[in-house]
Amino acid sequence: MILKKKVLSAVAMGAVAAMALSGCGRSDGGGSDGGGDGGGAAASPGITDEAITLGVTTPLSGGTAGPGTCTVAGLAAYMGAANEAGGIEFGDGKTRTVEIEAFDDTYDPQKALSNFQQNQGDVFAFTSGLGTPTNRAYREAAIDSEVPQVLVQTGDPIFSDQTESPWQLGFVPIYQNEGEAFGELLAGSDGDLTVAILSQNDDYGEGYVEGFKEAISGSENIEIVSELTYEATDTSVDAQLTELAGTDADVFFNAMSITPLVISSIEKSRELGWSPSWFLPSNTSSPVAILEPAAADAEDGFYSVSFAKAPQSPAFAEDEDVVTFLENLEQYAAEYTTTPDFPHCMWSYMVGATLEEAFKNMTEPTRENFMEALRSIEDLQAPLMLEGTSVNTTEDGQPAVSTVVVQKYNGQGYETAESFD
Amino acid sequence: MGAQKTGLLRTPWFQLTLALVAVVLLVVAPLLLPIPVNQTLARIGVFAVAVLGLNVIMGYTGQVSLGQIFFLGLGAYVTAYGVENGWNIALVFLAAVVIPGVVGLIVALAAARLGGLAIAMVTIALPIIGVPLAKRLSDVTGGSQGISARFSSAPDWTGLANDQWQYYLVLAIGGISFLLVFNLVRGKYGRAFRIVKENEAVAGAMGISPYRYKVLAFTIASMVGGVSGFLYMVVVQYTSPETLAFHHSISLLAAMVVGGAGSIIGSLIGGIYYVLVPNFTNEVAPTLTSLIQGAILLLVLFILPGGIASLPRVLRRWTGRSSRSSPPASSPPEASAPSSDPSPSTPPNTSPSTSSTTPPSTASVKEDSP
Repeated sequence: MILKKKVLSAVAMGAVAAMALSGCGRSDGGGSDGGGDGGGAAASPGITDEAITLGVTTPLSGGTAGPGTCTVAGLAAYMGAANEAGGIEFGDGKTRTVEIEAFDDTYDPQKALSNFQQNQGDVFAFTSGLGTPTNRAYREAAIDSEVPQVLVQTGDPIFSDQTESPWQLGFVPIYQNEGEAFGELLAGSDGDLTVAILSQNDDYGEGYVEGFKEAISGSENIEIVSELTYEATDTSVDAQLTELAGTDADVFFNAMSITPLVISSIEKSRELGWSPSWFLPSNTSSPVAILEPAAADAEDGFYSVSFAKAPQSPAFAEDEDVVTFLENLEQYAAEYTTTPDFPHCMWSYMVGATLEEAFKNMTEPTRENFMEALRSIEDLQAPLMLEGTSVNTTEDGQPAVSTVVVQKYNGQGYETAESFD
Repeated sequence: MGAQKTGLLRTPWFQLTLALVAVVLLVVAPLLLPIPVNQTLARIGVFAVAVLGLNVIMGYTGQVSLGQIFFLGLGAYVTAYGVENGWNIALVFLAAVVIPGVVGLIVALAAARLGGLAIAMVTIALPIIGVPLAKRLSDVTGGSQGISARFSSAPDWTGLANDQWQYYLVLAIGGISFLLVFNLVRGKYGRAFRIVKENEAVAGAMGISPYRYKVLAFTIASMVGGVSGFLYMVVVQYTSPETLAFHHSISLLAAMVVGGAGSIIGSLIGGIYYVLVPNFTNEVAPTLTSLIQGAILLLVLFILPGGIASLPRVLRRWTGRSSRSSPPASSPPEASAPSSDPSPSTPPNTSPSTSSTTPPSTASVKEDSP
């Protein structure tokens, strides 16, 4: 009996407390904090008259930590140098320094969303982060709260579709761009060529093949003689290679993302006595990691695409951009990495230059205005970009960098290929 | 003094009041807290349920399972698929529980025949098969780009913000899961699980089939995993093959051990650990997250080998030692009901015959078991 009474009084007290507390509930309306449109030029979160804060959620530990760390390092190097020079003068006449806040998401979508949710109140824009699933995980949340998620490093076309992704913009070329560039090179050649295609059976492989086919669709001189696929989980593609070698095609378009499989296909085709010209995607064409271990013969012709100068290549050792880049990396990004082992280091450096350009055109310290400024960059030649490529953000459906240059392996590194031979 | 205090803590009305206060706090909190905090709390709920499922099979029944994340992922995919195809949300939830449960049952029927490490190997295979499968079945799963399902926005009639609504969904569904598992492990099934964990031969001799109880525990763990997958979609609203990657299973396992294996409260602490520690390490040094998390894991295990849930027991033992003058007879320092962990750190003076309320009195198990 006593027990019952006490319990009842406890419940009552709790209820009273609850009502009292809920009366003075939090002061948000519907959970959205993107109310910048009412007050005109009221500053968005993450920007003051002296500084702007950028967030990067990217894998800094785990299996993709190498490229992930690079996505911060290049940006930190670029902005570190800009801050050292006094900051960036924005379009509204104020000079601001740029703070980079990096968050480790370990390539886990759930953690990327968490990083976004926990920090969107202090961060002006999210940028440069690596990974399709991680960027997808907070894409819709970023749209809901009207936070820019821009120049992200994923080849997923959805980020560059302005109707689907009004607050997003991809940075790196989508898979189609790469296949297209090589297709155009072939279409522009004089002789008749036969092509054998092997592609990974997912959106990656399909993207490459789609771009390639589009580029050669009107060309009489190019004929696709065989087209096979493999699974990303396959440990061997010997069967496919044997079949493709049977066609003795002149060109082998190999849209493959698995490093060991690329090496073994180069070896296998040599064993089969088939020596076509090769096309390899940008992420599986490394001279050091793939072509040298496979003892690739430069005489066959190994083509790939790129838009960044390779600091490791002897051709660029004395290049002014490369020298400055390496110095800045050493000086301002030591926390992350000082050696650009992955192209993402160069890419995020270019992201820095692209952001600077957008900042210069920003007339109001708001996220809306930033998106406008970012979407109006034309033909920006960012440092480290190869001749013939540029940043162009005005075209809907295309990432900031959609032009790539076809390159040919010369036995040591890649150099730009003017024509197919 | 110490004994008196413990006496007060152990009275039923005090515990009941405490529970009620906790419930009221949990219900009122999201109305006052800022959005990011609510989102974090909801996320904690998701992973607390995932750890709870793992605890059923591992903490209570003692079978090593490294596949729990697969059931979370499966639940999440079923939810996303159902929402995408416009199923009724109740049906979606049911499917998100039943389908992982059925898969778990089928796996368990084969795996539970194996003992020790072999069952661990079978469960490892689940996420390892799951990831390529999720990529391959792109018509259903959205392939490597994943699939999003936004069904957990707050309905207008509630007047709540999205984060509050999601929190309440997690609180309600997660709370019920915790209550059900709490009842399960306290009842005759829980006692049977514990005996299977301690010694399968003894269990067999007592008429408890280790095989059947292992299958049962595994199936329940899979269903709870499915529930956490549904809640994952409530909170994250997106899933991809990356969600069920194998290494998350290890993180869940670490969270369970840190929280306290074979403990209900430990599951909740595990969820808190799983969610808050990465946030914390990101604040400290984003480039050193793995290192710091490893250090925290080691630290907890050195200081509290039974997990954080064993902290009150350890403290009680210490205070008991320091005030040895007061006779401890009035309240034997046995484990409190929620953390009834038959780990070796339990004081030896709780002989089964004298304590009728808690741990496995061998006699009562024999009566209750079917």
